[in-house]
Order: sequence, then C-alpha cells, then structure tokens
Amino acid sequence: MEQSKKMVNRFVARRHLLLAVGVGVLSAGCAKNAPQDIFQPEGKNARLIDGIQRELFYISAVVGLIVFAAVGYAVWKFKDRGQEIPEQTHGNPKLEILLTILPAIILAVVAVPSVAAVFELDKKDNDCVINVTGQQWWWEYDYVQGSTCGGVEITKSIVTTSELVIPADTDVLLRITSRDVIHSYWIPRLNGKRDAVPGRLHTLRMQADQPGIYTGQCTEFCGLSHARMRQAAVALTTADFQTWVTNQTADYVAPAAGSLAAVGEGTFQAQCSKCHQINDLFTADGTPVLAAPDLYVVSGAAPNLSKLMTRTAIAGWTFDLISAECRDKLWNAAPEDFGALYLKGVTPECFDEATLRTWLRNSPAMKPMYADPAKLAATGGKTRGMPNLNLTEDQIDELVAYLTERK
Amino acid sequence: MFTTGSKLFFGATALSVAGAIVFAITTGGPTGLMGTIGLLSLASIFGFLGGINYFNSDGNVPAMQQGVQFTASAAQPPVGSSMWPLVSAVGIGGLVVGAVSKPVVFKVSVVVVLVATIEWMVQGWSERASADGGYNAGVRKRIAHPLEFPIVGTLGLGVVVYAFSRIMLTVSKEATPWIFLVIGTIIAVGAFMFTGKRKISRSTLLGVCTIGAVALLGAGVASAVQGQRTIKEHETTVDSALCLEGGIEAEIDDHGSQDVSAKSNVIANIFLESNNDLNARIAGFTDPEDNFSTITVPRSTDVRIRFHNESNSPQRLTARLGTFGEESEVVMCTTAINPGKEAILTLLIPKTNAASSTPMELQVPGVEGQTIAIVVP
Repeated sequence: MEQSKKMVNRFVARRHLLLAVGVGVLSAGCAKNAPQDIFQPEGKNARLIDGIQRELFYISAVVGLIVFAAVGYAVWKFKDRGQEIPEQTHGNPKLEILLTILPAIILAVVAVPSVAAVFELDKKDNDCVINVTGQQWWWEYDYVQGSTCGGVEITKSIVTTSELVIPADTDVLLRITSRDVIHSYWIPRLNGKRDAVPGRLHTLRMQADQPGIYTGQCTEFCGLSHARMRQAAVALTTADFQTWVTNQTADYVAPAAGSLAAVGEGTFQAQCSKCHQINDLFTADGTPVLAAPDLYVVSGAAPNLSKLMTRTAIAGWTFDLISAECRDKLWNAAPEDFGALYLKGVTPECFDEATLRTWLRNSPAMKPMYADPAKLAATGGKTRGMPNLNLTEDQIDELVAYLTERK
Repeated sequence: MFTTGSKLFFGATALSVAGAIVFAITTGGPTGLMGTIGLLSLASIFGFLGGINYFNSDGNVPAMQQGVQFTASAAQPPVGSSMWPLVSAVGIGGLVVGAVSKPVVFKVSVVVVLVATIEWMVQGWSERASADGGYNAGVRKRIAHPLEFPIVGTLGLGVVVYAFSRIMLTVSKEATPWIFLVIGTIIAVGAFMFTGKRKISRSTLLGVCTIGAVALLGAGVASAVQGQRTIKEHETTVDSALCLEGGIEAEIDDHGSQDVSAKSNVIANIFLESNNDLNARIAGFTDPEDNFSTITVPRSTDVRIRFHNESNSPQRLTARLGTFGEESEVVMCTTAINPGKEAILTLLIPKTNAASSTPMELQVPGVEGQTIAIVVP
C-alpha cells in the first residue's frame, strides 16, 4: 500500500514537472521584446511569408488534431484488456484511395498561395538597388552610383557597413554576394533569408513599412565568429534618407590643426589605413591614402570608416557605439521621431567610448578572429578579421579623438 | 599455444607495429606522427582482440578444456582451395611494381591486397565456423554480402557510366542525342517486354545482360582507345593587344555565354546598340529605359557582366581595370562575337578606382567615344 502511494506521488510529481516545462516552452514563444521575431512582420515581403506560414499552421493544426484524435481513440478503444485478438484483415481500397486523395487535395490547396507567394517575392521592379557583400564577419553595402534610391539620387558611390540604410515604404533590391565563404543575409521582420555565395549574385527584396531599426543575423555558419556577424536595416523617411545620402557623400573634414584628432589622423595613416579606407584622406605631401586590404585580409576588404560615427555599432554590428540608454531610446523611438534621432549619429552624450577603446586595445579578445600572426601560414600571412595592433594607450587616445569626428 | 583466431590478430598486431615503425621513419613531421599514432592504436586494438581470442580459445571451446582447440571445427584445415592467396600475391607484386613505376598501380594494388585479405579472412573463418558446410556457407553470406553487394554494385555502375561516357565523348556532338535515344529506347522496350512475360528463365536474363554488358564494355574500350573528339574551350578573355586594338579571331566563338549559371548571375548587361551606342542595364532595374553609363562593382569578389552585340559587325567588349603602382594596366576582354550574340566577362577587381592611375571602364575597340565607367567603391 505504502509502495503504491509512493509510486502515485512520483507519477504526479513527474506530471507537474512536465507541465511546468511545457508552460515554460509555450511562454518563451510569447516574448514581446523580440526584435528578430518572424511573427511580427514590418514589411510587405515579411507579411506575405507570415501570412503563408500562419495559413499553413492552421491547416497543419487541424490535420494534426484529427490524426492525434484518431490515434488516441484507437489506443483507448483497442487497448489490451485481455480481450480476444480481432480478425486481422488486409487492404481496404476505398479507405486507401481516400487517404491518398485527401492529402493530395490538402497539398494542392496549400500549394496555390505558396507558389503565388514565391513569385510575388521574386518580383524585381524596384526603386533602389544596393550591393550587399558578406565576409568574415561583417556585411558591406554599396549603393549603385548614378542610380536613384527611393527617388533620392546617388551621385557618388557610398560604401558602408553593417547598417543597411534604406528609404521606408520603398522596394529595395539587394544584390547579395560573398568574398570568402557562404553567409546568409536575414532581416526577419522585413523578408526571408538569402545565401551570400562567392561568385554568385542572389537577389532579395526589402521593404519596411515605416522608419525604424530592424535587426538581423547571419544564418549560415561561416566560421569562428559566425554568431557575432549581425546586421540591421535602418529605414528612414525619404527626406531623412536624402539627408543621410548627402552626409555620406559629403567631403572629408580634416581635424583642426594641432588637435589630438589631428595627431590621430597620422596614427590612423600609420596603423589602420593599410586595411581601412577613409575617403579623400591625403598624406602631408598630398598623396592619397589608399587602403589595400587585399594584401592583408583573406576576404580582401575591411570596413570603410569614413562615416564611422553615423553607425551605432561596430565589429559586425556586435558592439554598440552608443550607450544602452541611448540604444533603447533609438530602438523604441516612434516612427516619426526615429529619423531625427538616428541622423544625429553617435553624439558625445551617447558615445560608448569604453567599447571603442577596448576594441582598439585588443580586438581579437572581444571577437574571436583568425588573426594570430603565428598561425597564418595557411593564408600567406593574411588574417580573417582584425589583428591585435598592440597600440599604446596614447595611440588609442589619438585614434578615438580622430574617429569620433568621422561623422 | 596460440589459437587460430588469436594467431590472426597477433599477426595483424605485429604487422601494424612494423607498419608504424616504417611509417615513422619514412614520413616524419606531423603527418608521420599522426600515421604512427594511428597504426600503433590499430596494433593495440589487434593485440587486445588477439588476447581476448586467446583467453577464450576463439570463443567456441571452454577455456579450461585442454587440447580441444586442436580438435574443434575452428582448428580444422580448409575444406577447399582458395583463390585469395593468389590474388593477394598478385596484389603484393603490384605494390612493388607500383612503388617504382606509377602511383595508380600502387593504389590499385593496395585495394586488391585489402580486398583479398578481407575475403581470405572471411572465407577462412566461415569454412571453419562449424562442422556443417551448409551453415558455414550461410554465415559467410550473412557476413560478406552486405559488404560485397554495395561494392560490386558500385563498381559495376562505375564501369557502365565510364564506358558510356567514353562512347559519348568519342562520337560526334550531333550523334550523341540519337545514340542516347536509341539505347534508352532499347532498354525501355526490352524492360517492357520482360515485364510482360509471366515467367522468364534465369539463363535468358543472364544472356541478355551479358550481351549488353559485353557490348557496352567493348564499345567503351574501343572509344577510349580512339580518344575523345575535339571539344572547343570557350574563351572569355584574350591577349591585351587584341583587347585594346580590336581585330577578329580566326574562328569566332559565339557560345562563350552558354554557361547558364554564369548568365543567371550578371551584375549588368552591356549592350552595343545598332547605332554603336554602348549602354549598361543594371541588374535590378527592370525599366528598359534605365540605361546607365556607370556600373558599380564590389571589390575583391567575382562579378559577371554580359555583353550583347546588337551592332552589325563582330565585336568584343574590353574591360580596362586600372593601373596600380608600377604594374602595367590590367586589361581583359571577351572574344569577338557575331551580331546578335552574347558573351560573359568575369571581373575581379581588388582595389578601388582611387588606387588606379588610369580610368576603369568598359569599351568596344574601334567604337569611339562610347565607354561605361566602372566604379569600385
């Protein structure tokens, strides 16, 4: 009796535990603050995918319930209670035909909206075309010179990193490729994912209903820091996008003579410009400073830092350049206020200087990269990612002062 | 005294140790270390298995029963002749010949020795598994067939594919679809006829398959001996003098863009119009009126452009990809193509425009004043 009671208690305890796990799993799916939630689409492409998956879910749920109910009924009804084994029969043509035709009809019904959505997503009548190039472990965007993007003329080439800035409510076509291994571009709230494959050009359409920031993540394992290869799409009103383009194409502003930033310009030329480009930068004798990442980096590219302080994060959009408070304010800004806030860039009051300093001090310590000089024989000395430059604290001060003005 | 099973494993242990020593001495370095560790691990496994077998007297006689290991079925001499010692000897001979002649002979011999050893082992074991010959044959099938069938099947399929590919590469390009059609039809009709019969004798089926296999193998060997037909390589670039000065090759290649994969991946289409205007239509902009005089190309990654010759004469597209430092200008081009034809050009530009002392642009030799600027941000 005592033994039986113990067993019952153990069974009840296990059932409670299972119930608690089930509730936990279910409630995890109800997170509100989930910027990469595919069930909260913010553009027509993502909405189309969301519509399809919801339709499919409901149909699958009904089919699943019928199947589970039938199985449950059979298990309960025909449970072994010591009765005689009934007569065994084989083959029931009517039932078999029904069970073949019924799924075929369901699949045919499901196929209609699915195939239509595939063609709809593949439309290519666009108001803007942007090249997207992946490499270990960040994304580069360049805007097609001589084209218009949402009605805004791109008179001069723009190349930027990690934050894809687009006009809101505009059909933008991304032409996606890769410089090294296969990556995958995904902004869940704006569209599905698309692989970035070296030597191939894959297209993906983006459209955001309203201004805001939409985050994403590389979704194809691409090496050591795959988990730290993040990205965002920033949608602005047409007027704000015009302002952004104007700023991005504006001429280089040299730091004031004698300032710490001016010293930093020299430090940048000596330490960083082998890989990183700052447009229209010249040496003291008037020679243009031209980065040659093809000589030092496996992918042949490094982020362009001309307008570093117009972006909110660095290192593959992994580390914020702005404080947590400012980031929350920006991310949660109302659509009508978002543009003005974003276009301010990294303001002195928001600047997370400590992060930039830590990055400059030893970047591989923050984000794992193949950059140890002793282990680069296989790549002919070229790194995957940024190496530790062993900068002195003075050099870091100078560089921070210089880079802070790149806006 | 060693039991039969333990002798095998102890022999394999000794062979693995000897192999490890030879490998360590002849190879050296990290590869040598890894190989030696692998072979020593193998030796320890064989030694362990040998010990187990010895301890259990091969598992088929009580360990404490003295002398029974010499009277048990496992200890009986082989029941029949075996071809595997002969095959092993041929394989070992091949190893020696291959070591001093061609690597392929060596590799094939390694496979022959491995196959012969495994088959020999399985045969030796199965023939003495019990005193019942029928049971022994059954256990051999159970052990060996899961290995033999997939391997023999794969080899057979490989021979068929290889022989067929030799035939198709030897006959003319025009004849290949017809041959494919005829052979396919014969197989389909034959299969249809066979399935229509209620009963078919084993010898008939075997005869038909043998005739088919011999015919295919014979034709394959004959084709391989004759060698494949001349297959033209489609050039997409030629020497820089021809790129800059123009001119037409002795034989125009109008199939330079037949690669479907390449055609589906172009970043821009370049049109030489009938009035000799040069226009770029950028992938993504679908309005036919969207003609560009500039294309933007990401650096350090392969991008493809497709040249359409809509003019009235054979033309080529030349890409001038800049001059960097003391090096000479980088130039590449398509072959000349006839009017109405297309050609693909693949560009890989590692540096920006600013790094070049000469403009990066696309042009058609002989067509003045028409260029498409290449922007590499």
